[in-house]
Amino acid sequence: MIEVKEITKRFGLKKVLKGVSFTANKGEITCLIGINGVGKTTVLNAIMNLTPIQSGEILIDGEKISKNSYEKITFIPDAITMLPQMTIGESMQFMKDFYKSWNQARAKELLDFFKLKEEEKISSLSKGNTAKVNLLLGLALDVDYLLMDEPFSGIDIFSREQIADVFTSHLVEDRGVIITTHEINDIEHLIDKVVLLDEGIVIKEFNAEEVRETEGRSVVDVMREVYKR
Amino acid sequence: MNVIFNKRDPVYVQVVRHFKEQIATGGFEPGQEIPSRRELASRLKINPNTAQRAYKEMEEEGLIFTEGNNPSKVTRDEQKIQAVRGELISEAIDSFVESIRPIRVPLEEVIGLLKEKYEKER
Repeated sequence: MIEVKEITKRFGLKKVLKGVSFTANKGEITCLIGINGVGKTTVLNAIMNLTPIQSGEILIDGEKISKNSYEKITFIPDAITMLPQMTIGESMQFMKDFYKSWNQARAKELLDFFKLKEEEKISSLSKGNTAKVNLLLGLALDVDYLLMDEPFSGIDIFSREQIADVFTSHLVEDRGVIITTHEINDIEHLIDKVVLLDEGIVIKEFNAEEVRETEGRSVVDVMREVYKR
Repeated sequence: MNVIFNKRDPVYVQVVRHFKEQIATGGFEPGQEIPSRRELASRLKINPNTAQRAYKEMEEEGLIFTEGNNPSKVTRDEQKIQAVRGELISEAIDSFVESIRPIRVPLEEVIGLLKEKYEKER
């Protein structure tokens, strides 16, 4: 389980996170939702220890984040970090050389799943396919937790569907996933938990099925109510 | 298997309903093997935890059964199958009555129209 406890973060005088708390379980998909600029990416960066926080703490399976956390968790940014002149195969090789947890068999399976070819150059890929390669490079690591920053943003509907399909497949298996997004429509059925962020705080944290069951409301219904305040 | 989900009912409830329809209409034969939790999640594009929840529910209701480590199967209990059929019929009638009643059509007229439509649409 990832436990985020009362974390605060300032950029200069601007308080971006004002005491954010939530948990994300293994075997579940947790969706961090917020209108742009509310600090979603900052939360992911804090979990990865990529940005120092002013106060609060983050525990991964009960332990404070440290260098060893990188064996358990990976961060998939919203844009690919490989050089454009590299091929998909070369990017995979780079990851393999760099990470102990690289799982080549799973990488190949993901390649098939996304209908991509190793010899294709990153620079020649469509936006949607670039997003798939980016995701592939992270999903092929044998880690317990995956943090994905806006995996659905700015790509065509078919690519979005294909990416959503990964979440219901064995390729994500029983890992813990945290996704940030500002558009939920395509993935309402896929997610377990929803964490609504606004102005640097968590305004609501709930289980999607539970809200449907006890209140007869969709995730979007709840968002509409909460963000209208 | 293709199910269009609405966004306000629990997904697991909608999955159970789909299975009931299949069982009642013979889409699933008694004793037929059903997909694994993972396969179902993949095919219906739903969360695997939700698929698990649906299976647990159906197991408890006696709609499916599992022996040891084998794949789960559709119930062979004829009484159960008839009960599911009865439940679906009753629900369909309820929803029909609920939508026709406010229009205040005499029952005889409804029956006449129903008969005509039912036979024509077949």
